[in-house]
Amino acid sequence: MGGACYVYPDSPATPDRVTPDVTFERTIYMNGSVRMDDGRNITVWGFTDSGGGMGGMGGMGGPFPSPAIRVREGQIVHTVLNNPGMMWLHTIHHHGIEPSTMNDGVGHTSFDVQGTYTYQWRAAHAGTYFYHCHTNTVLHAEMGMYGALIVDPPEGPGRVFSGGPSYDVEAIWACDEFDSRWHNLPWDAATCGGDAGLNDLNPDYFIITGVDGNRSALTAPGVAVTMNRGQTLLVRYINAGYYPQRIRFGGLTGQVVSSDGRPLPAPVTVSEINSVSAERYDVIFNPDSSGVYTVEIEYLDWIDGSVLGMARTRITVN
Amino acid sequence: MPYDSFMTNLLNNNYHNDYHNKNNIHFSTTTTCLPILQIMLSLSAAIDGRSKTTKGVYMQRRDFLKFSTLGLAGSVTGLGTFLSWSPRANAATIDQTFYITDGMRTQADGIDVWFQAYSSTSTGLDYPAQSMIVQEGDTVNITIHNTLGTTHSFVIDGLVDSGDIPGGTSTTVSFLAGSAGSYLFYDRVNLPYNRLTGLHGGLAIMPKNSSNEIYAGSPTFKQQLFWLYNDIDPAWHDAIRQGRTPTSKFKPRYFHINGISARPPGSTNYTDPTKNAFYDPRSQISGKIGDRTLLRVLNAGMCVHSMHWHGNHLEWITRNGQPRAQIWKKDVIALENNMGKVDVIYPFEPPPDAWPPVTSGQQYVMHLHDEMTQTAGGGLYQFGAATLIKFK
Repeated sequence: MGGACYVYPDSPATPDRVTPDVTFERTIYMNGSVRMDDGRNITVWGFTDSGGGMGGMGGMGGPFPSPAIRVREGQIVHTVLNNPGMMWLHTIHHHGIEPSTMNDGVGHTSFDVQGTYTYQWRAAHAGTYFYHCHTNTVLHAEMGMYGALIVDPPEGPGRVFSGGPSYDVEAIWACDEFDSRWHNLPWDAATCGGDAGLNDLNPDYFIITGVDGNRSALTAPGVAVTMNRGQTLLVRYINAGYYPQRIRFGGLTGQVVSSDGRPLPAPVTVSEINSVSAERYDVIFNPDSSGVYTVEIEYLDWIDGSVLGMARTRITVN
Repeated sequence: MPYDSFMTNLLNNNYHNDYHNKNNIHFSTTTTCLPILQIMLSLSAAIDGRSKTTKGVYMQRRDFLKFSTLGLAGSVTGLGTFLSWSPRANAATIDQTFYITDGMRTQADGIDVWFQAYSSTSTGLDYPAQSMIVQEGDTVNITIHNTLGTTHSFVIDGLVDSGDIPGGTSTTVSFLAGSAGSYLFYDRVNLPYNRLTGLHGGLAIMPKNSSNEIYAGSPTFKQQLFWLYNDIDPAWHDAIRQGRTPTSKFKPRYFHINGISARPPGSTNYTDPTKNAFYDPRSQISGKIGDRTLLRVLNAGMCVHSMHWHGNHLEWITRNGQPRAQIWKKDVIALENNMGKVDVIYPFEPPPDAWPPVTSGQQYVMHLHDEMTQTAGGGLYQFGAATLIKFK
């Protein structure tokens, strides 16, 4: 446990704590595993839903990505992070949500959670967000410590935002890249110095919402989309990696209606989107002909723009 | 501070909550942090020293610093934190002098890296150069003294190109300040190497008669900053210093905003605004509710970046010099590489998701979300391209 530097462990009481409208409980796992299409198992870390108990010391692995947090606009939310023991430090940053400093989950402006902390915030704007750990972030987010965060309008799922378009089918595509060499590092890697190579990401796996985009994501339930003509699809696209991405919608044309949790002044028609790390785009599709559309996400080198890899999934319109 | 020291303190009940004190860490004056922006209105003849001279000659000549400041028609000095600007009804002549210099800068992990820069003095190393603000229609005269032995240039795309300035010589370029906006000035010789190793800076051209617009009719701001990003591969800097063309693949190990990286609480130089981008008055965003802050973001480096602000969504006004057809509100904005640029406004609205609501006493981070940039030398998370946002 020794050797971590520039961490700020604490578990204070939540300032001005009130009774929330909704509570999410999260604890940590550090020994998850994702099986890739080539048969390799890659270690991942993340959050599990520990509702109903304090959770353990992370002995049982957990889902990747971490379970979604889904709330309605106007709700006061408690996100309880249980990080018992003194094994490691983590936080939850609700990315795109803008709470007080104490509830922002950034170690060096507040604290890294050791024990339990209840993040208190109120969802002001419907849209697509994600949450992730903000301790030694360069490593912890790469290790998979993130999950979707969806704020529905007050009327609930089925509409992107109040006054915005409705949808029948929803897909959440969190597109990420792994450099498997990073996935054997300790939680506090190089926080005191030394060269752990954390400036140099050389991805060898390309992932859509926790599934290998080489082959599995083409058909994986919860990733690949099946819908009928006449239905409206909402794709919530999250660049959950570090490198720029280009997502092509397989010949379908969609309308970007919101980004980063804010409606656009007017929808923008797209057949592909370029994004950078942590951007979110909400895209509405109304396909008028049946077919199988292969969606491709290209992961681009941040220096020369070359394609480092690709992940694919499908939209099947019956 | 090592984690186990924290633990020891915690167990001894001596642990002191650093974050409770952080609101008190700031710089009470803005004038001591940085020299004033050295742009002066000259109503007298242009400065001496336009003729090409040798390094030895002009280094002894200080008379070019003797500008007339009588009859100033407007204020164009920037003090400390935010660059102040007062509009003028009439165009002026702006004279600025830069010295091309070089030297070493110690990075967060203790490694010294060579840089060259457009400096305000012959002995300085202003990497990046001090930013300049002028007004549409102004005549701008820039005198560049190349104190080095190598050839350099001074270029603003679309505005001016000095051509080669051989080592040990000086030149003056003049141009009419054209369209309002944010510009990078840089050295085009050996592109991109001289630009990458530090020869760059920011120029703003303000619209006529306006103190609060990016271009005529743009959304307005109350204060403005330049953010110049750069990515540092010390192997490249070393090669360029030795006059060689880098042959290795570009692998940046340090990531700068306005020439320095951030430092976290407990680190050496944490409170030093010349060492910690969190407290660098050129970079830190500080204001009260309503203090809409324009960020003129210029990427001198080779990497595409994802800029992420906590606390507020930004208004994304321009991309690569062009007003955007729609102004989007974003918490992440792309910054293209190799001189990509954006103008964005941090609105200083109450953080929308705080409960109970807050309007002051908050601090947030701005950091790049391509998190490799949050490191130095392959580790040291929190020693990368980041700064602080302070709700006073």
